[in-house]
Amino acid sequence: MLNTPFLLVALSLALPAQTQAPQAEPELAEAAPGFERIWNARNVEHLYNRAGFGARPAEVEYALRQRPAAFVKQLLEGFAPTSDPLFIDIPAMPERREFEERGEFEKAQNRFRAEERRVLTSFAGWWFDQMVEAKHPLQERMVLFWHGYFTSSTRDVKRTAAMVAQNELFRRHALGNFSELVHAIVRDPAMLEYLDNNENRKDRPNENLARELMELFTLGEGNYTEVDIKEGARALTGWRTTDDKTGSYFQPRNHDDGAKTILGKTARFDADGFVDLLLAQPACPRWVARKLITHFEGVEPDEARLAEYASFLVDKRWELKPFFTKLFLDPRFYRDEVRAERISSPVEYLVGATRRLGITVPPQILWLGAGQLGQRLFDPPSVKGWEGGEAWITTSTLLSRGNMAGMLIGVVKLEDVLREDPLEVEPEGEMMGGDMMGGDSMSDSAAKDARKAGRRKVDLGAEMSGLQRMTNEMYFPRINLTARMQRAKIAGDMQIVDTLADELLPVPLSEPSRAALLTFLRTERSVLALEDGRLLSAGVKSEEILRRLAHLILSLPEAQLG
Amino acid sequence: MQRSHLDRRALLAAAGLAGVTVLSTRAHGSVTLSPALATQGEGRTLVLLQLSGGNDGLDTVVPFGDDAYRRARPTLGLKKSEVLALDDYRGLHGALKQVRKHYDAGRVALIEGVGYPEPIRSHFRSYDVWHTADIRGRDAGDGWVGRLCDAAFKDEQNPNLVVHIGGNVPYALHSTSHPPASFVNPRAYRWAGGEAETEAYEQAGGMQPERDEKKPKKRAGESSLDFLRRVLADGQSSSEQVRRAVAAYRTPIEYPTNDALAQSLADVAALVNGGIGSRVISVEMGGFDTHTDERTRHDQLMRTLDAALGPFLDDLGRSAAGRNTLVLMFSEFGRRVAENGARGTDHGVAGPMFAFGHGLKGGLYGKHPSLEKLDDGDLVHTTDFRSVYATAIQRCFGVKPEKVLSAKYPLLAFA
Repeated sequence: MLNTPFLLVALSLALPAQTQAPQAEPELAEAAPGFERIWNARNVEHLYNRAGFGARPAEVEYALRQRPAAFVKQLLEGFAPTSDPLFIDIPAMPERREFEERGEFEKAQNRFRAEERRVLTSFAGWWFDQMVEAKHPLQERMVLFWHGYFTSSTRDVKRTAAMVAQNELFRRHALGNFSELVHAIVRDPAMLEYLDNNENRKDRPNENLARELMELFTLGEGNYTEVDIKEGARALTGWRTTDDKTGSYFQPRNHDDGAKTILGKTARFDADGFVDLLLAQPACPRWVARKLITHFEGVEPDEARLAEYASFLVDKRWELKPFFTKLFLDPRFYRDEVRAERISSPVEYLVGATRRLGITVPPQILWLGAGQLGQRLFDPPSVKGWEGGEAWITTSTLLSRGNMAGMLIGVVKLEDVLREDPLEVEPEGEMMGGDMMGGDSMSDSAAKDARKAGRRKVDLGAEMSGLQRMTNEMYFPRINLTARMQRAKIAGDMQIVDTLADELLPVPLSEPSRAALLTFLRTERSVLALEDGRLLSAGVKSEEILRRLAHLILSLPEAQLG
Repeated sequence: MQRSHLDRRALLAAAGLAGVTVLSTRAHGSVTLSPALATQGEGRTLVLLQLSGGNDGLDTVVPFGDDAYRRARPTLGLKKSEVLALDDYRGLHGALKQVRKHYDAGRVALIEGVGYPEPIRSHFRSYDVWHTADIRGRDAGDGWVGRLCDAAFKDEQNPNLVVHIGGNVPYALHSTSHPPASFVNPRAYRWAGGEAETEAYEQAGGMQPERDEKKPKKRAGESSLDFLRRVLADGQSSSEQVRRAVAAYRTPIEYPTNDALAQSLADVAALVNGGIGSRVISVEMGGFDTHTDERTRHDQLMRTLDAALGPFLDDLGRSAAGRNTLVLMFSEFGRRVAENGARGTDHGVAGPMFAFGHGLKGGLYGKHPSLEKLDDGDLVHTTDFRSVYATAIQRCFGVKPEKVLSAKYPLLAFA
């Protein structure tokens, strides 16, 4: 390459030395007596939904053959060895002095940014592959969780290598030790950059990292004062990134090593001392336990349960594996309120649909698609991460989720969504807006023609355009629902609806939705003049109907839960 | 099933009527407006037009009469003959002919020197300041339009209340309680399925009791499944309302057919007139980050902008709803005063903001920043952008601006 020599560096080499977390063996906890009685298909699927990205029917059968405690142990260890880490090309940032002409420098910068983007896209694709393959689904779930917990964004951290390194950090500590993770995050280059710790210097402290460390990472609001933030910021002074932001180091001359009084304790705190002080606060295990339980259960724990899990975290010295063992073998994790309540994030929705459909999708499609639906990985909306829950769902995103699913199944093309609206072909002006005041009226058809003629240049935005290009050029759904039904010896309308819904939905189909699906299937079958039980005999027409049924199923309210 | 479909239509029609309150455009050409409306602020629509990338304010409202301007812009500077002079100091970029026409008709308020203290030169972070009206950016919480909705439309939950037409929803509209409907194209705001699937899909979403009561959040005790059904039903009706409004809209005004902004503004006009209760509509035009070869690029941008805004403002003049619409045009920052070595300009700070509308008092507002007393080569802002927001909040929505913006900002007299 002309002006951008690439440094090919294995990412782990580019990272500052990290003490590898000693992974404690999870205890061979046994489920409480009687737990076996609730170890059924519904609950096993629920566990897959929450601890992973949904289950295929064979996976549910597999889990049912295991003892609950043994299966949970596998969840914590992974089902198969995970893929090798992606080898990351780190493009070199162009330096102004290398370029005589300003225009040339800008071109080099543009090439650099494009290359950075390409590397980020590759890495995001790799990450999506890990989620879909689900060799270690809980680990991937936790990487995603930490990404929304210890947020950093490419919007501010304009360096792909730093964002990737942070992701690798989350991967190493995903199910490790929370204390070690917090100690690591206060020296993580992306975090230092994102929360302005380069500007946090002895002579001019910047409070950003200290504030979020207390408010969002360890204690929660109300458990510290503004003075604690100011003093805490002093403890974090001196930690900064390298100029190219791919590494971090401690610069003693910028560190304030005087005494600080934080949360009532006075000492010459440094970053690690400050973190240890925070971890020792009673508010900290409560904060972490609440966040974890709420994420995995979809509803906040009650006080008794929160207290129980918080003290358990402390007892286990912040080890996460015992925590999850306890949670997943807790009958309360399987109560109705928990099983039905959680709304999937866009990533969970798309990865789950991909897994349940059993299709192969270029992972970049999932990345861009999730972005369209409101979850742009590597770009959380704010330091608080994604709000989650019902905030994922708006009228626009709900309809778009269905469209994305239709695209994965191959029955919706993005062009279709953008094409002439059926409403426009037959205008029904009786309802609203048909008669403008003061407007001399052009004849309807002339106006329609005029508008239609011009109507075609639509700015889709980069993401949507990328998605459109990618689906047109790279994607063909490899799916054969007819064969799947035939193999299961399914033929009648009701059987088809129930089987397909069972395979594609993370939660049971509700009666109203079932009625709607049956209506659809009966209507379509009668168009083909086939008897109930003969639907699969119409070859390509059968498959088309099944795919449209699958699209409908994945658009249902039930498909958004999990 | 057919019956429930009809019921839904009936409900839609009712919602359409309820949504517009005072300004129903359904009545056939005979709606008499309370004359107080235009000043009291009830029932106005606010349109936000974002020029993304940092529009060069000095090449939009050109201080051709200032020697310092010519010195700072030896190759980029426009001469008097190349601008549409507003007086002997400043003029609009020569391409803004239709904007000039509307300016002369009193429909353009030009607010000069708009910015904020401690300006940020990063695109993203400066957007965040504009979008949250807060220097802390997103850490401050929802977008300013979201907060406005909380103050002005606390209990009203029309899914089309806030609309963004375009790819990426600006953070200004971020709100959990009043999330925006968004689409790149109103025709694309729909679930894409065949006729039979659509019927079934509507059946699956539409079997809810209490369909007419719309609340943003999950109600106490409501299950997630019921919540999703309700949003689905809302989405189906909202998308149908939007598409109907656009499909039914008739205008003799001709918009350029090959330009995305013009087409979006045509859709905005349809929504403004559609009687579907949309009160804040946002659109975006990109491409303003003119570091290099600015002359050609910015000229083209100004031509495109003028060609889209001209017919849009003409169109708004045709109806009461249109005349009651206020358009605010802004950019995340202006550009540096001096041109750079690549015949372009780099990120700066203050710039002009435009308000358009048939109900406003046109003319010059604020104060043109000095081109001599610079802060490290940048203009010093003379009007805080939140004064412009405050004016819109007060005049369009009758809400005390302090409820939305954490501090008090002096109102401007344009609206």
